[in-house]
Amino acid sequence: MEMLIYITLSLLLAIVPLFARSERGANIAATLFMLVQIASIALVICFKQIDVVMLSIFRADTLAVVFHILMTAVLGFSLLHSSSYLKAEEVTTRSYKAYYTLLMLLAVAITCVYYSDNVAMTWVFLEATTICSAGIIYHREFQHSLEATWKYIFVCSTGIAMAYLGILLLSTVAEHGTLDYASLKDVIANGNPLYLKVAFLLIVVGYSCKMEIFPLYTVGVDANYAAPAPASAFISTALVNAGFVSIYRIYSLYASAGEVFAWARHTMILIGVLSLAVGAMFLRRTNNYKRFLSYSTVENMGIVAIGMGIGGVALWAAVFHVICHTLVKSSMFYQVGIMRHVYDSYSINRIGNYMSFNRVGAIGMILGTIVLLAFPPSPLFISEIMIFKEIVAEGWWWLLIAMLLLMCVVIYAIWNRTLRMGYNPNQDNLHLSEVNLRLSYSAAILLAAAIVIGMWQPNFLKDAIDIIVNIG
Amino acid sequence: MILSLIILYVLTLIYLSIADRFRNHTSILAIQGLLIFGIAMARLHEFHTVEMIFIIVETLLFKAIVIPAILMRVIHKTKINRIHSAASQFGALVMSIAALIASCTITYYMADNRTDMIFFGVALYALLTGLILIVMRKRIFAHLVGFLVIENGVFLFSMAIGVELPILINLAIMLDILISILILGMFLRRMDNDIHTDETDALTSIKD
Repeated sequence: MEMLIYITLSLLLAIVPLFARSERGANIAATLFMLVQIASIALVICFKQIDVVMLSIFRADTLAVVFHILMTAVLGFSLLHSSSYLKAEEVTTRSYKAYYTLLMLLAVAITCVYYSDNVAMTWVFLEATTICSAGIIYHREFQHSLEATWKYIFVCSTGIAMAYLGILLLSTVAEHGTLDYASLKDVIANGNPLYLKVAFLLIVVGYSCKMEIFPLYTVGVDANYAAPAPASAFISTALVNAGFVSIYRIYSLYASAGEVFAWARHTMILIGVLSLAVGAMFLRRTNNYKRFLSYSTVENMGIVAIGMGIGGVALWAAVFHVICHTLVKSSMFYQVGIMRHVYDSYSINRIGNYMSFNRVGAIGMILGTIVLLAFPPSPLFISEIMIFKEIVAEGWWWLLIAMLLLMCVVIYAIWNRTLRMGYNPNQDNLHLSEVNLRLSYSAAILLAAAIVIGMWQPNFLKDAIDIIVNIG
Repeated sequence: MILSLIILYVLTLIYLSIADRFRNHTSILAIQGLLIFGIAMARLHEFHTVEMIFIIVETLLFKAIVIPAILMRVIHKTKINRIHSAASQFGALVMSIAALIASCTITYYMADNRTDMIFFGVALYALLTGLILIVMRKRIFAHLVGFLVIENGVFLFSMAIGVELPILINLAIMLDILISILILGMFLRRMDNDIHTDETDALTSIKD
């Protein structure tokens, strides 16, 4: 019942901007929408509604609640930055309202993915995120956004159709067509191993377009490139997390599948290494800051996939990595959005000397880069060290060497680009605009939160991750 | 009865790989919708009103009428009709037959006693045909057709597995797919209007 009220209220508030007379109406609806998110999380936590099944297709487990909290935090900042971004872009009131509606609808679809307790319904809500994202990606209405939108819808739909095929194969083990995760976990060991392997492969490949890992990562990169920067921050974190949660739930299911689970873990390692390699390669090639950050997401999700593949402590580290990556990456996307406002460009080759135009933003970007590259006190340092330790303990030396080599390339590419942005002279005449320092400071809040977590992990977070990784 | 419908379905897939006009593609998709409706009805063991209504809506209404109508409208608005393929008609036919043989081989090794081998094989063939259409055809519209062929293949696959999902989930899946088609059709028209192209070669402006 609570879930029904939450979804109804959220959907109603999401469509309110379409009927609002002005942009102010859209802003009020967005504020109320945020209040509904906060209230729903507070209700679940305060009234100990954890692990309660709702409407027979949703379950408020720890995994869902943690990612809902993260999504709400990022959404708040995205809405705040979107308002300034859209005003600076001088979009029409109609376009402004449509953008807000789509962003909120996307948030509802993502929340439903997090809470979904049914394999098929997770698929349905993931497909719904494709539809909502499409409008946001097309928002700027230029040729590239049209191309990116088409590719995004087409590849995601085809990929997710493949994932559905995997779900059908997985459902051969289901009794009486019940596809909730707990029931499937009880019977998965009786399944045909070949079917289970093919199902896992199809589902992970299909969902890879959402988690931005190999092989369908390209559409996510294009989507982030074409969408407005505050929306890219949301897509590159909350939506990527939706992909992660979907794959993680399938992964947890397979933990009871005996020998097939070992195969699934090896598959995750392979996908992770390939994602890391792709990220490292394209981070050096790209000339656009948003694509640059997107490839960094591919690289980080590759590390997460490797952590899932290794298992044990590395699995704990993988979940921790996703949580911290959300804070860091969203902060950097907001900073890039502000930088774009200053230079009217995302071009890496053109932008320089940012330190003299926006000291706060430039420091935010440089600090963000340090944290993203997992240098202490970055929380990513902790997760990566834990993954490396587990790799050494398992004796996967080839994996350790491959990861270290690829990460050297990543460090060189990212550090080189960020320093160029901060200190190199501009390459040509740019029409500089005034800086909104408040936005630069607000973007740094998420980064500061990540650094705090890097130095001190609160017990509730550690306990939550302990519960999440308890998949045995 | 079911076997004749399945053979007809395979023939539509072969014809789809060599057809060179989009109107024909659309007509074939409508025929496939009708065939799937016939197959689904013939496989109904007992009379369930809700299940029957759902099958009628999903196959007869959506797959045989609504989606082909949307495609016809796109063809009419964009004035595209001929396909542009990377392979000749003979090459496409050879590839389609190769896909059929590959499907039979994979089915032989994969299908177990819980799955219907014939449905499994045809579903796999439909999936491969859809993928071939997407990879080999240059026009974006052909990709849309390929996607729909894959969707039909997935529907047949669910019959091969014999899974009966709750009606709510089936309904959600059906609506999701329908909305995706509507949006894809809308963007296809927009691409034709805004960047005056319906070829995938033109969709390469986003680069690193």
